[in-house]
Formats: sequence, structure tokens, C-alpha cells
Amino acid sequence: MTSLVTARNVSKHFGSTRAVDDVSFSIEKGRILGLIGPNGAGKTTLLKALLGLTDCDGDLSVLGLDPFKQRKELMQNICFIADVAVLPRWIRVSQLLDYVESVHPNFSRSRAEELLSRTKVRHDKKVRELSKGMVTQLHLSIIAAIDAKLLVLDEPTLGLDIIFRKEFYSNLLADYFDEERTILVTTHQVEEIENILTDVMFIVDGKILLDAPMETVSENYVELLASGANAEKARNYKPIHERDVFGKKVMLFEGTDRSLLAELGELHTPSIADLFVAKVKGASA
Amino acid sequence: MSNQPALIKREIWEHRSIYITPAAIAIVMLLLALTGQVAISALGASVDLAMMGANELPPEAHKAMVTGFVAGLGSIFVVAMWILTIFYSLDSLYAERKDKSILFWRSLPVTDAETVVSKLLVAIIVIPLVTFVAIAVTQILSLIFASIWLNAEGGNAGLLIWQSLDLADIWGGTFIFIIALPIWLAPFVGWYLFVSAWAKRMPLLVAFLPYFILPMIEKIVFGTGFLADAFFERTASLPLFNIGDNTFAMFELEDMPFDENMISLLGIIDVGKFLSSPSLWAGLIVCGLFTTAAIYVRRYRDES
Repeated sequence: MTSLVTARNVSKHFGSTRAVDDVSFSIEKGRILGLIGPNGAGKTTLLKALLGLTDCDGDLSVLGLDPFKQRKELMQNICFIADVAVLPRWIRVSQLLDYVESVHPNFSRSRAEELLSRTKVRHDKKVRELSKGMVTQLHLSIIAAIDAKLLVLDEPTLGLDIIFRKEFYSNLLADYFDEERTILVTTHQVEEIENILTDVMFIVDGKILLDAPMETVSENYVELLASGANAEKARNYKPIHERDVFGKKVMLFEGTDRSLLAELGELHTPSIADLFVAKVKGASA
Repeated sequence: MSNQPALIKREIWEHRSIYITPAAIAIVMLLLALTGQVAISALGASVDLAMMGANELPPEAHKAMVTGFVAGLGSIFVVAMWILTIFYSLDSLYAERKDKSILFWRSLPVTDAETVVSKLLVAIIVIPLVTFVAIAVTQILSLIFASIWLNAEGGNAGLLIWQSLDLADIWGGTFIFIIALPIWLAPFVGWYLFVSAWAKRMPLLVAFLPYFILPMIEKIVFGTGFLADAFFERTASLPLFNIGDNTFAMFELEDMPFDENMISLLGIIDVGKFLSSPSLWAGLIVCGLFTTAAIYVRRYRDES
């Protein structure tokens, strides 16, 4: 497999704060990577470094380019939706399409028109006249019509209602994603995207806490629902996290043999959100 | 540079005042001309006398009057153009930060330099070109209205206006003036672009306060008035004319006497003198430095 993104010892400081602290990772082609972290963990800073919007220390290569120095070339093959509703409010839909068509060599006008025709977004409307959900549809239609190798989404569905959020991700998979393309996404609503992710990365205080394909997550981590004496026994296997649910204990184990635990109670693959909480608490303990 | 046409079009979409302002002035002036003519017609006999007197004047006087009248129509547009340029430049890199659309613009394969340069080009070339078109249309329509009126009042528009009219001269002179002015004032435009990219808030205040504070500091610390003189000199003069004290107070355009100098606009314009003025080139360097700083700020500032 080819690495689209390679980061080696990447750091970014703001004064004495280390927003990104010596991280190394790579992203392969055709993957959907979820970047999960609390606010202020350095997610956005890391994305900005990948997009060439901010410079950083260390070696960072995106599509074989130095993102900060070769931003224009990079942007021909990368798309990003940063936060929400950043489309200029004064622009008309038709003007927006005209503009992207004239500055972006990999933009297909007809594809964008086709995607837009499935929505209620009309060409003669200004962005300010559209609802928040429609603005997101418009943005996604433009992005999906760009033949880009890497799509970066930073909280793309923030402030949208549940129907639009679901629709956004299903459209994303249907209209955009294929094995030639790679998606990097950050979101707080991790439960909504965990079934589409192929890889997951946790970032806390500028450091990477976990970087693994989803298959290994289900192999390495297991959640046990146990009570009473069984819970006591299970504790000997050193769970990385423990919580109470309806009088029972839910324990999360890392790298523990499933057959040992199976005798003590019900086993589940933990959700990304639970795993995240366990990892963050484990790290700070 | 291939992105420039699209970028400039984008600016005109966003800042519709670029064409609405001159168009509105043109409409107001033409309406005033029409109502003014009606009002003057009410004076009756005195108009006839004035017109008879005008018929008697030599051709040079006719030409001077027509040239003065037609060229004078442009003055209000020029003042409006400069105000428009100031507001446009100050808004051009500030609005996109305020509404966060900068994140979208920067997600496209366009460099910060291309973007900032497109805004500079709009300020010093596009706005003047649009203004020139508005002036030319206003001049032609005003002359047509005046002719109709003159003929209706028993005057001879052919003799008084059209025979004395040298449009090539008026438009040529106006065009050079209107292109030269923003180039001369380019250091201010560069400063406004920089403030627009840099100011956290209230770019207008940030841009204008130094005009007052810096000369004051200079006066207090050094007891000199170099900056105040430099600011005044730059705004009140334009080394494009070969009459007067080598400079031309542009705000006195309307007060220009109808003397023989006004027979030809091109006759009083000296492009060579303008281009060989060291102040012009010093100003362009200042503009270049501020523009570079604006590009740098847009590129390096972290907006989050």
C-alpha cells in the first residue's frame, strides 16, 4: 500500500503550549480515518498542518508534497470542509460553481450539477438564503465533484440535525468514497461514524494515544459485563477501565485472551466512544 | 496569473458597490441636469440674452467652456471613487475572516499571493475603469440633454457644443487622470490592504488613527512635521500636470478657471513628468511592501 500521508516527529508549538507534540503516523490510500480527541487536543492544529494552513516542525509529507510550501499543488488533490458553514454567505450558488470551475482543474461542473439536482438547493439562491443543512449539501456536492485523492473533514456535521447528519455520511460514502480516495474525519459525534471508519486515531494533549485499524480494535479490545464474584475475578486480568451499569461492572480489557474472560460474563466489542474514554482515563491515571 | 480573471470576477460579485456607486452617481447627476434645465428655462428672457452672448464668443472660449463643463462632470466621480477604494481595500481581506469564509477560499488551489494581488488589481485598476465608463456615459448623456434643451430654447447646440467638443481629448485626459490617481495613491491602498488582513477588529479605525497619531508623536519627540507634510503632500497633489506649481490640487478641480489652458485636457497632462517622478516610484515600493506584508499575514496567521 502507498502512504498518502507520512508524519515523522511532527510538532507545533504556540508559545509554551504544545498543540501537537512529536507525533508520527501514516495514512494509507483508500482508508477512512477517524481522528478523535477532546476539544483543544490538537486535532484542528494537526489538520491545519496537513492542509498547509500552518507550518510545523518535523517531517510532514502529504501526497509527496510539503503541505506548507506547496499548498497550491496540494490543494488540487485535497479537499477539505473545515468546521461548518464556511461558504461565503453573499455568494450565489451559480457563482460558486463558476468560481470553483475556473480555479480548480479537477472540478467537474456536470457532476456537481447532478449531485445538486438531487437536493433542494437552487442555482439562483444565495448561500445566506439556504438552511444550514442545504449549505452542507451544497458544500458536499462541490467537494464530491472534485477528483481529489484526500478529503479532510473537520467537524463537518456540527450543528446539523440528526437526519442531515446521517444523510451527510451516507452521501459521502455513496458519492465520494472509493478505493482510490482517502478520507480523514474529525467529529464529536463519533458513534455516528464508527461504522464507516476503517482506522481510528485518538489524540489527547497533542499526543497520539491510539492509532489502529478498526479490525485490530475489535481484536485487541474487549468489554466484559460481569457482576459479583466474576467481576472480582475479572479484575485480576487488569482492565484498563471499569464502570458501573445497572449494578453490574463493565470492564474494558486490552490484549486479554477472550476465552479467559468469556467464562466470567458477556463479551462485547467496545464502542469507539467507550474505548476513547477508557484510553484517556487510563492515560491520565 | 491564470486565476486572476476568476478572482477579479469574484471580487465584483462580492463588492457590488464597485459598479453600483458610480452608476448611482451617474443617475443622480443626470436627473439633476434634467431638473436644473427645467428650472433655468423658467428664467425665460435672461436665458435668451445669455445664449446670444454665448454665440458671440470666440471658438476658443466655446471650447474652453465645453471642455471645462464636460471634464468637471467627472470630479464627483473621482472623489467617490477614492472613498470607494478605501472602503473596498479595508474590507477585502477583513470580511472573509469575519465570516470565516477564508477557510473555504483557502481550501481551493489558489495561493495567498494570487488572492491579495487580485484585490490590489481591483482597487487600483478595476474600480478606476468602471468609474471611467460611468463618467463617459454621464458626459455623453449630459451633452445630449444639454443639446436638446439648447435647441428647444432657440440656441444652436451644434455651434455651442458639438463643434467645440473634442471628446478624444476629454476622454483621453480623463482616462489618464483616473488611472494615474490610484497609482499615485497606491501606498495608501497597500496600507489599507495590510490593515484589512491584519486588524483584529475595526479596520477603518486602525487604518486612519496612525494618520493623526504618528505625526503627533513625531511633533512631540522630534519637533518636526515631516510625516504630516508627507501625508498632506501625497493626498493633495498629483505630479501629472504642467500648469500651476508643478502639482495639481485635485480637490480644486471644480474651481479651475475657464482659461485657455482648459482648451485641451491632454495639453495640460504630462505623463513623462508623472512617470519620472521619484515620489511615484517610492510610493509604489511602499505599496509593494505593504501588499507583501498582507500576503504574509494571510498565509501565516492562524485563524483558530
